[in-house]
Amino acid sequence: MLRVFVQAFRTPDLRQKLLFMLGIIVLFRLGSNLPTPNVDVEAVQICSDQALEEEGFGLYGLLNLFTGGALLNLAIFALGIIPYITSAIIFQLLTVVIPKLETLKKEGPSGQAQITQYTRYLTIGLALLQATTLVTLAESGQFFPGCPQEIVADNSVGSLALMVLVMTSGTALVMWMGELISDRGVGNGMSLLIFTQIVASVPGMFWNIQLTRGWGIFALVLAVALVVVALIVYVELSQRRIPVQYAKRMVGRRMYGGSSTYIPLKINQAGVIPVIFASSLLYVPMLWAQFNQESAWAAWVAEHFQRGDHPIYLAFYFLLIVGFAFFYVSITFNPKDVSDNMKRYGGFVPGIRAGRPTEEYLTYILNRITSAGAIYLGLVALLPLMAFNIINPGMGMAFSNTFGGTSILIMVGVGLQTVQQIEGQLQQRNYEGFLK
Amino acid sequence: MTLVLSILLVITSVLLLVLILMHKGKGGGLSDMFGGGMTASVGGSSVAERNLDRLTVAVGLVWFACIVALGLIL
Repeated sequence: MLRVFVQAFRTPDLRQKLLFMLGIIVLFRLGSNLPTPNVDVEAVQICSDQALEEEGFGLYGLLNLFTGGALLNLAIFALGIIPYITSAIIFQLLTVVIPKLETLKKEGPSGQAQITQYTRYLTIGLALLQATTLVTLAESGQFFPGCPQEIVADNSVGSLALMVLVMTSGTALVMWMGELISDRGVGNGMSLLIFTQIVASVPGMFWNIQLTRGWGIFALVLAVALVVVALIVYVELSQRRIPVQYAKRMVGRRMYGGSSTYIPLKINQAGVIPVIFASSLLYVPMLWAQFNQESAWAAWVAEHFQRGDHPIYLAFYFLLIVGFAFFYVSITFNPKDVSDNMKRYGGFVPGIRAGRPTEEYLTYILNRITSAGAIYLGLVALLPLMAFNIINPGMGMAFSNTFGGTSILIMVGVGLQTVQQIEGQLQQRNYEGFLK
Repeated sequence: MTLVLSILLVITSVLLLVLILMHKGKGGGLSDMFGGGMTASVGGSSVAERNLDRLTVAVGLVWFACIVALGLIL
């Protein structure tokens, strides 16, 4: 592990990529701590400290974690990448529904680029909407219920509009940073940015436990977290290998093929994306409830969703994760394409005929593996949360969110992915070295 | 002073939004998670693209400076 990093920094090409990524992350963190103009920093500080200690900050808490505390600080990057994720989900779901988008998607890379472009436009729209909500709530004092401080310095329409504008362009900037990382850095920009934000809040939370609960509980939580991490790494790396045999063929005077390989099917083919999607989607009802607070619907949402440990909320969360896992796998792995490709190059799975039977076989295996993977994802996301609530109720939602499965899953998943990508790039460069 | 900075901030914010939207979402973000890694960045960026990058960074810096300055005044 360490050797990989040392080698990575010795490779000039990779070093540049890593440094670029780190630079962007530093900028991103800086922006996440820089308050929006017209916000009374001290008042916000008092209120957010109070809010973090209180119960009932459930979904906001998770959202706050995803933005690395930027949301509660009303920073310029308060919205983080959440608008982008929401808009990406919306477009992915729409491609199934709207025929025009589907044809665009089938067009290949150019159509995909067009969809990405639409996604970016929608991101700005959503950012504008959410920033407006946020600023309105902050201005009317509902953002921190029960905190008497005035957190907005100047209540005039112009100043408020300025805040909205700054937050919106901040979100656009975050989006661009993510794209830059994907383009010129290592790994996937969006997931790395979420990773950064979660990792940024974890040490503080750990220390907080030690301060408030003493060393005993601290050690217990640390041990549980380590075990969960080990389990997650184990499952993330496990895969089912489907053997593939290639027929020998003669091209001219040379013999090709005849090798046997395998198709690796990961148990958790979807990675962390279902978890990210599910948690961002669960935020939507909250957002909606903010607009009309008096309705019965809003009261229902507040009662069942805000706390983050209500059974209905947990059930919804689980179902969404399972659903998204299947959805995402169906997008990334197409059994028909795979079996067609195998057929073209003379490959077959031993004991199964090429073409349609192979496709059916692959689908069958994929469905079964994904069922296990999806249930695993859902359980890991929920179990630590429930366990902590049973062992020690009243730990505070901020706590459960940090050490709940969601954040650990994202941290481990994205970390693993990134290290694997770095390793892959290293192999590209040092291949001769391995052969010697 | 606050007024001048605010006006400058409004202008740079809008500019920043427009400039970022002008970028091609190069295999950007989630859709490349979705595409399954088929978006290999073909070739380097064009001259226009590089200029756009520079312009965006410049505007971003002014935007940042404005926010910091406003924060210090308040």
